[in-house]
Amino acid sequence: MSGSIRRGDLARAASRCLHIQALLNPERMQGLGFGFAILPLLKRIYATREERGAALRRHIAYIATHPVLAGFVVGAAARLEERRAAGEPVSDAAIDTAKRALASTLAALGDPLFWVTLRPLAGLLGVITLLVLPPPDTGSPDFRVLLCPMLTLLTYNAVALPYRLFGVARGYADAERPAALLRSLHLAERNAVLERVSAFAFGAFLVLAGSKLDIGAVTGGSATQSALVVAPLLLGAIVGAVGVRAWSGRPVEVALAALAAACVLAAWV
Amino acid sequence: MVAELIRVSLLGGLLATDRAAGWNLMLSQPLVGACLAGALVNPGPEWELWALRVPIAVGAILQLLLTDVALPAAHRPRDTATAGIVGASVALLGLPRLHPSLAVSAGGILWVVIGVAAGLLSAVLGGWFARLHRTGPLTVARADALAEAGDLAAFERLTWGGLVRAFLVGAAWAWGGTILFLWAALSFLPRFSSALTARRAGVLFATLLGAAAVMAFHAHVRGRRHGTRWAALGALVTVFVIRGLGGVKP
Repeated sequence: MSGSIRRGDLARAASRCLHIQALLNPERMQGLGFGFAILPLLKRIYATREERGAALRRHIAYIATHPVLAGFVVGAAARLEERRAAGEPVSDAAIDTAKRALASTLAALGDPLFWVTLRPLAGLLGVITLLVLPPPDTGSPDFRVLLCPMLTLLTYNAVALPYRLFGVARGYADAERPAALLRSLHLAERNAVLERVSAFAFGAFLVLAGSKLDIGAVTGGSATQSALVVAPLLLGAIVGAVGVRAWSGRPVEVALAALAAACVLAAWV
Repeated sequence: MVAELIRVSLLGGLLATDRAAGWNLMLSQPLVGACLAGALVNPGPEWELWALRVPIAVGAILQLLLTDVALPAAHRPRDTATAGIVGASVALLGLPRLHPSLAVSAGGILWVVIGVAAGLLSAVLGGWFARLHRTGPLTVARADALAEAGDLAAFERLTWGGLVRAFLVGAAWAWGGTILFLWAALSFLPRFSSALTARRAGVLFATLLGAAAVMAFHAHVRGRRHGTRWAALGALVTVFVIRGLGGVKP
């Protein structure tokens, strides 16, 4: 630690980054949560109530970044505040500009990795676990109820948690080298790899789901009745395909439309 | 049932906080919520076989249906965090109560369909309910005033209050949504008992599965660089592995 900030302060700030969206609002986005997260560091840097209040005021302005990567911005902002408290010529505008530049870049790199790729992949791996593991014998405990969600949680957090744990400390250490900091995170590279894993996992999911479909149990077994199952599968696929194109970002509505179509078909069968 | 509802409520609060407060540990994914609800809700020893299988299936289908690659800011305000909990809880709590009038087995498919339907409707209504957690301009103005006055302790209390509110809103909806949809299921489904055959349950399930597969394709393959190639490779490798292991024919 080069300044007054201690490791414990950085750890406290990192833990508070978990609550960065507790007061999320359209006017400031994560601004209030950012102020809450950086507060332990501001308390260490500034001694008086007035100085701390003024510093907090600077940090509850508008800011929007990826919640997993918010720690890097908190750490970098704390380093700039520390330099300012030490008497270096660091203006309010310089702190705000540095924060926003880092925050928006991290959001642009973090959104595709965490929201678009990793989160769906983690869920899919949980579903694949369900398909891979055999159901237990009658009377035995069904451990799939624990293993499926556990794999989802482990997959996501194995990638995301290191960024959250060490984000504040890394941001603090590399505040003067934001470009090097961003490069060292390898966000785009990891996203490219995980995208392929995600598509690969979907292929595996399709085969596994197809192999598990027990059409005979549903329909009674005859070829004609089995064909009746293909019709609803196709209907669902068509409604899903049209729905995701027409209603982007509205999966609940698409799923409800599929359910409504299924009810019509079921009434007709 | 009161003990079960309390557990469901606490779980709903926890998962809503994960989604709303920024924890984002993925506790709020439907698969996780449904499985945890399945572990907490016990419909009785005679239903032991279904008590865990139904929630996993409800969670898996909701997970595939509700996974959307649009960024959270582009989403409609839908409460997908408690959808898995409400869906699984309604299916499990309804199972012993509805069984006398809806004695359909078909591998528990009917209960899975009921759970998925309850989860989807819960996501819509829960989205409206979750607006209670919104931080308004008054809170922002209060935060400004507290920072101006240098009252850091009060500012921290404001944030902790936001966390507690997120928890309470999620808990209230998990509790209220489960009661609402359970009441709806108990009131209306027995009237359709003659129409709810195993075959129709299968048709509903298969349609949901078809939609889920396409939505999963949209999330995992479409728009990805070489996505189709990697998906085909994944399918081929899985076919070879299954055949190599001598398992079920794909």
